[in-house]
Amino acid sequence: MYTMGIDVGSASSKVVILTDGKDIKASQVIQAGTGSSGPARALDEVLKKSDLVLGDMDFVVATGYGRFTCDSARKQVSEISCHAKGIFYFIPTARTIIDIGGQDAKAIRIDEKGIVKQFFMNDKCAAGTGRFLEVMSKVLEVPLQEMGSYHDRAAEASSVSSTCTVFAESEVISQLSLGIPKENIIAGVHKSTANKACGLVSRAGVTEDIVMSGGVAQNPGVVKAISDELGKPVVVAPYPQTIGALGAALYAYEELIKTKE
Amino acid sequence: MNTIENIILQCKEATANPKKAIDDFYKETGKKSVGCFPLYCPEEIVHAAGMLPVGIWGGQVDLNMVRSILPAFACSIMQSVMEFQLQSVYDSLVAVIIPSPCDTLKAIGQKWSRENVPCIQFVPPHNRQLKAARVFLKEEYKAIRDKLEAIIGEAISDEAIQESIKVYNEHRQVMRKFANVAAKYPDIIDPVSRHEVMKSAFFMRKEKHTALVKALISELNTKEVKPWGGLKTVVSGIMLEPTSVIEVFKEFNIAITADDLAQESRQYRVDIPEGDDVFDAMAGMWQEMYGCSLAFETDKSRVKMLREMKEKYEADAVIICMMKFCDPEEFDYPIIKKEMEYHDIPLLQIEIDQQVQYVEQIRTRIQSFTEILQESK
Repeated sequence: MYTMGIDVGSASSKVVILTDGKDIKASQVIQAGTGSSGPARALDEVLKKSDLVLGDMDFVVATGYGRFTCDSARKQVSEISCHAKGIFYFIPTARTIIDIGGQDAKAIRIDEKGIVKQFFMNDKCAAGTGRFLEVMSKVLEVPLQEMGSYHDRAAEASSVSSTCTVFAESEVISQLSLGIPKENIIAGVHKSTANKACGLVSRAGVTEDIVMSGGVAQNPGVVKAISDELGKPVVVAPYPQTIGALGAALYAYEELIKTKE
Repeated sequence: MNTIENIILQCKEATANPKKAIDDFYKETGKKSVGCFPLYCPEEIVHAAGMLPVGIWGGQVDLNMVRSILPAFACSIMQSVMEFQLQSVYDSLVAVIIPSPCDTLKAIGQKWSRENVPCIQFVPPHNRQLKAARVFLKEEYKAIRDKLEAIIGEAISDEAIQESIKVYNEHRQVMRKFANVAAKYPDIIDPVSRHEVMKSAFFMRKEKHTALVKALISELNTKEVKPWGGLKTVVSGIMLEPTSVIEVFKEFNIAITADDLAQESRQYRVDIPEGDDVFDAMAGMWQEMYGCSLAFETDKSRVKMLREMKEKYEADAVIICMMKFCDPEEFDYPIIKKEMEYHDIPLLQIEIDQQVQYVEQIRTRIQSFTEILQESK
């Protein structure tokens, strides 16, 4: 039996196909989110990869910001629940989840059964999200995927305000003009992101194991900065960007079993 | 259309077009209207003058002109109110009354720039339980009466105010009854309808609203009480608007079983006590008010009150409707959060912003919260 999870985010579209609710048959990430061609392309490519068609899917669940625009989905589940489900699948010892996506940052607390007990999200503010890092990446002229590698070369993290992306951008420009090394500034940007994320996490309560997901979890510099701020180890979920879609596919499998019973 | 639908439609029409309510009232009575700012205005004084007290609670409007007088990080309601003011929306009012229990409302009186619509500002004292506080507020209310008399050129007698107090106390009792009855019929009184019934009180004379709500209660009491398959919540905050946010509650089958909203049930929480001195009695009501972030209390009774409401109405959760940039409400939140966590009461906070048009962030939060609660049921 095949189930599919589609995660249509603000910045990217992710799809996962699961076999019998256990094995990941195929997954796809397209860096274009809701309102763009991203969701359709992600769907197309994952089906090509797996040599299947949409009709082969026994149940499809959509999640993410654009979940209600997915015609192929039979059910929509929030990304909070899907991230929790996806992470628990890989790491059943996870108890605190930090998910940082394109424009959302979430802190989720789950119990020993993987059930969400509490969650907090950022409120209409891009500071500390993927968008914040994108803006800084442009100003610093360092590709987003390379920013993590600069982190460990920093002698120290420069101070970057964490309250507003736009003002933080001004700060970074000022620091560049003062000749502060890029690696120090990048470490400061990562620290600023961590500061915002940890603010959310402390409201939800911090219990190990702490697991990160979302696109920003692919930046080892941010992961380290969060770990330093919390004073605890942080694990990155496997395939962090597709965790939500995996959770959706797992929910799809649960729904499928219910319909068969 | 049945009686219930008809009454709810009348309420919807009143809230949808406050200007029409003001104009129609003038055509019917020859009397003008007075704008009453949040949170707790002595509407009885306006009512006693035969005028229509109209609630000034803002609305959905693009903010442009208000930027000249308010920064972005000021209370969402006052942003829209002052935008409307600068667009001359309130020019048909004869005056406005502005209570000032918070910093933003204190500033608004200075910013009110309509000479043809004078503003009467007053201060509800925060150290409320002092004898001096009651005396102070009594004098403030007398001053409102005197200033209003000077504006309209007519006397407003103590006897007329006494009669208006009776009308308003009856209305308060009926609205409390409505809240209790509506809790039994979430299948008939959905969250949007409930809000329209509550809010429409600000756009008609209270005796008219009392009659409508009494008729609604009578009709509801003839209906069968059906079990509710969705979630039941207690909502708390300044207000739950715009309608697009309340629609999300409907979308996820969430009933509002009780509210602690300043725009709704907090208005009807406490009656004006009996007394021959009308201004002293009205001041007494402010002393007896409880459970509101704008009415200072050392023991924060709101926290225990919310817990008790959750139990009394068998609600599944408490949802805090946090008015954007409302300091008093934000100061209360950590205390409420601690109490709810201690008692294992599910709690969600959503941000209320009158200017918002797209509610996806709120939809995500509410859907997630619903999923959590359903999983734990």
